[in-house]
Amino acid sequence: MNDIVLKAEALTKTYTSAERQLTVLDEVSFEVAQGNTLSIIGPSGSGKTTLLGLCAGLDVPSSGIISLMGLKLNAMSEDDRAYVRNQYVGFVFQNFQLLQTLTALENVMVPLELRGEKNITVKAQHLLDRVGLGGRFNHYPSQLSGGEQQRVALARAFITSPKILFADEPTGNLDGENAALIEELLFGMNREEKTTLVLVTHNLELAAKTERVLRMKGGKLVEDSITALP
Amino acid sequence: MIEYRIKVARPLKNIFTDAWVWRMALRDARHNFSRLFLFAASLITGIAAVVAIGSINYSIQRDLDKNAKELLGADLVINSSKKIDSNLLKLLDSTNTEKAFDADMASMVLFLHNQQSRLIKLTALKGNFPFYGKLETKPANAYALMKSGKFALLDESLATQYEVSTNDSIKVGNTIFKVAGVVTKIPGGGGFTSTISPSVYISMDVLDSTGLVQFGSRVGYSLYLKTKEADTQAIIDKLEPTLKKLNYTFETVKSRKEGLGDALKSVYQFFALLAFMALLLGCIGVASAVHIYAKEKREEVALLRCIGSSGWQAFNIYFIQVFCVGLLGSAIGSALGIAIQQVIPIVFNDFIPAQLQFSLSWEALLEGLLLGSIISVLFTILPLISVRFVPPLSTLRAEVKQVKVVSKTRMVAILLIVLFPVLAAAYQTQSIVTGALFSIGLAVVLAGLYGIGALLLYLSRRFFPHHAAFTFRHALSNLFRPNNQTRVLVVAIGLGAFILATLNIIQNSLLNQVEFQGGKNQSNTILFDIQPKQKEGVLQLIKGTGLPMNQVVPMVTCRLAEVKGKSVETILNDSTDKRPEWAVSREYRVTYRDSLTKPETLLEGKLQRFEKGQKDSVFVTISEAMHETLEVNLGDSLVFDIQGVPIKTFISGIRKVEWSSDPPNFIFVFPSGVLENAPQIWVATTRIEDAVVSSKFQQQLVTRFSNVSLVDLRLILNTVNKLFSKVAVAIRFLSMFSIITGMIVLAGTVSNSKFVRMKEYVLLRTIGARTKQISAITLIEYAYLGFFAAMAGVVLSLGAGWLLTFFFFKIQFSVNAAELLLVTLGVISLTVVIGWLNSRSVISTPPLQVLRKEA
Repeated sequence: MNDIVLKAEALTKTYTSAERQLTVLDEVSFEVAQGNTLSIIGPSGSGKTTLLGLCAGLDVPSSGIISLMGLKLNAMSEDDRAYVRNQYVGFVFQNFQLLQTLTALENVMVPLELRGEKNITVKAQHLLDRVGLGGRFNHYPSQLSGGEQQRVALARAFITSPKILFADEPTGNLDGENAALIEELLFGMNREEKTTLVLVTHNLELAAKTERVLRMKGGKLVEDSITALP
Repeated sequence: MIEYRIKVARPLKNIFTDAWVWRMALRDARHNFSRLFLFAASLITGIAAVVAIGSINYSIQRDLDKNAKELLGADLVINSSKKIDSNLLKLLDSTNTEKAFDADMASMVLFLHNQQSRLIKLTALKGNFPFYGKLETKPANAYALMKSGKFALLDESLATQYEVSTNDSIKVGNTIFKVAGVVTKIPGGGGFTSTISPSVYISMDVLDSTGLVQFGSRVGYSLYLKTKEADTQAIIDKLEPTLKKLNYTFETVKSRKEGLGDALKSVYQFFALLAFMALLLGCIGVASAVHIYAKEKREEVALLRCIGSSGWQAFNIYFIQVFCVGLLGSAIGSALGIAIQQVIPIVFNDFIPAQLQFSLSWEALLEGLLLGSIISVLFTILPLISVRFVPPLSTLRAEVKQVKVVSKTRMVAILLIVLFPVLAAAYQTQSIVTGALFSIGLAVVLAGLYGIGALLLYLSRRFFPHHAAFTFRHALSNLFRPNNQTRVLVVAIGLGAFILATLNIIQNSLLNQVEFQGGKNQSNTILFDIQPKQKEGVLQLIKGTGLPMNQVVPMVTCRLAEVKGKSVETILNDSTDKRPEWAVSREYRVTYRDSLTKPETLLEGKLQRFEKGQKDSVFVTISEAMHETLEVNLGDSLVFDIQGVPIKTFISGIRKVEWSSDPPNFIFVFPSGVLENAPQIWVATTRIEDAVVSSKFQQQLVTRFSNVSLVDLRLILNTVNKLFSKVAVAIRFLSMFSIITGMIVLAGTVSNSKFVRMKEYVLLRTIGARTKQISAITLIEYAYLGFFAAMAGVVLSLGAGWLLTFFFFKIQFSVNAAELLLVTLGVISLTVVIGWLNSRSVISTPPLQVLRKEA
């Protein structure tokens, strides 16, 4: 039981719009063990991103329970959830989400700075070296290509050595070559850090590279399968 | 049953202990400094205006304390409408005092070199006045020369106006004086005093030779005393019973300082509030700029929340930025205020006695910094507070709506923002009532501007000109662009237009009032101090010049001896009697006739003729206001002291008098048959249409009847105009701060919406628009904005102007449409220029650069 990093119990999310209730996530339950890689797939509007948001504590469910590292997120305040994310979670977004006013190095350092850690520059530089951006520490996001920006985002995600990494369409905005490079880095660093990976994607090829795939449809979890990894 | 942990040991850091928020604030500011500075710029002009006015106030108060004696020129001044009593002088001989005398009166002066004449205040001096300070003249020895014989000194403004030089000759009364020089500085003089009635100074030794001091002449006598400071109060105590008995008044250094201090305080309060208005406008600018800034930072905040920042940490990052930049803006504003203070004497000299000098005030400087800091906190918290509640989910879904959270901080901020203008204005004016009234008034004006602006925008949308040219339609649509802050701009620019337009309406109404009063067939020229033996001669002169004889009225000087059976002395000594001392003890000028004049209406009672031989049959009428002040009614008795003869009268009627209409008008009117043999003077009124005729008539009058004074209402009109122009210059100077603040807010908004504009222009270019068309759209957009702002300001000023003229000035409301149009065009032009200057770079940016940035 101690191995469980993430647990969702009957997660439901409903929105009220124009006096109509819209259920975008309907009683979804699953568990993810430490070090597992998992994809959430499904057509647009199936509830993938909503599920990811709830799992990462970016939102709270209308009902059900979500726990991360044994912490019940939906009972916590927004600031407490932010603290939990800083301690245990890494993120990679489709649109990179770098702070435009910070250099690549500063962007990578931010999560550790938030923890109040000191002497972190070397670690950040090492990670940027690892993603192939050794010579671009002081470049601003606007001076980097899309692929480079996503590599900075990867370095930022791994700098806290997170227990779990959530990635939302990490290659969705990249060309084939850059997408392949990011995939390689994502899975490579994940293996090195033994991080649990939860990936939301449309890309079935990418999903197939994870150990387990959850298929969503109309807000329900319709399939939970183990992939045949080589 | 699984047990979950729901508590985390989150370390709590405040803004002072969290080094990370300071580091992030600095990093983020590197790329936003120019934008951040723009919002600080909104503060600069307001702080500058407040500091400049505050600094003047502090330095004047300081100077007032330091140079108080120079304002009076003596330790004690005794004033009387009669020659200083010899018994009083004897009483003073036993005290160790030095004496100086002056006598002043209204008189005509004839400038012999150009044969022009004017009504002036003639001041005859004797002794070493002033004892403190200096009577400065050009040339320096002119004062000594004046004392030596038939020499005169002129106020500098009078000499300049009539092009009088040293050694020219002037005629005052029967005497010709040589001009010894001009007075540049005199204790207690200068400023408005010399504008209203410019003075001519002569030696008292030659006053009698002018023949001006005759029976009925209204002469004011002053006795200046220099005492040892410790003795002043003892001398006052010694003289007071005699002074009271003689109906003399006195003024000490302290009372002059207090009187002047109160007067200057009122002037300061008015200008401080005008400056404060610019500052509040800046506050709106700050809040508006920070609101847009916070909106644009939403994405960044969502990410920071995502990776572990707390709401307060995110808030602190941007708060540190805006606060520090606000502080910088306050420092620049304060420094600018001090610099402006050096220019201000040119604008404000007319409000401040020449003895007072301006100097740097550290208190004002510190107040400016403090005020800027408070504003930087207060007006940024509310728009920034939303940053705390940005949902981290927006990193995944941009369309996530921010939930409106009712936070304590927000509530406290709103409360403080509402209280701020009241408290700050109360502090500025040292009066909580004034502060509250000002805030309510300002809130009404701002709400009015916002409402009118919103209505105009609504109407332009409702009746959108679908058939107008593309550039006009597109420019109008641009006003409704998100983040365009159109309504805030209409308020900010409109407030400046409102002040200017209101000022213009008041000026026009006041001038129109004077013109109106002198209009139609009413008199515009009043001749007074006509001696009975001169009456026929003066009337012949008027008729001989072909002028109408509108009024010839006798005037008798008297005082009240008893009111309703109580002697004036008893009333004055009765502390429970609420009737004002001035009304009981003043000198009255009464007339006699058995009918009403045009400006008079009988409210109560009747006009009762005098019946010879009957005791107690003198019935007088009283003006409505004085009947209330003296608390007398129909049938009440009044005893008048007519040049030493007591005459008992009864009130038979109460008259309503329109004082400004067809003067002279009187408080008390006696019936015919009572005062005919009393010592009296006559007043005649006529109407002169032509300036040349007026000039010739005045020359003849001065030559033949040198003691008769003439009031030319056209000259009064000019004086009113001149006075108002001086006030208007100062008001305009300060309202410019509001306009400049409005323009800075505009520049800030243009800058804030720069990228949205760029994208629009690129899109337009992509579909074939030429630079000329894009430029036209930009110019028209700002012209619309300027137009809406100016219209909001002008429309509101019509309402405010009407209220002010009707309730405050009690004059007829008058508008000069051409001048208001000029204000409107000026505001539009200024808006277009500022908007254009800030948009040039946007228009000239190559489309590809924007597209790349977008990609």
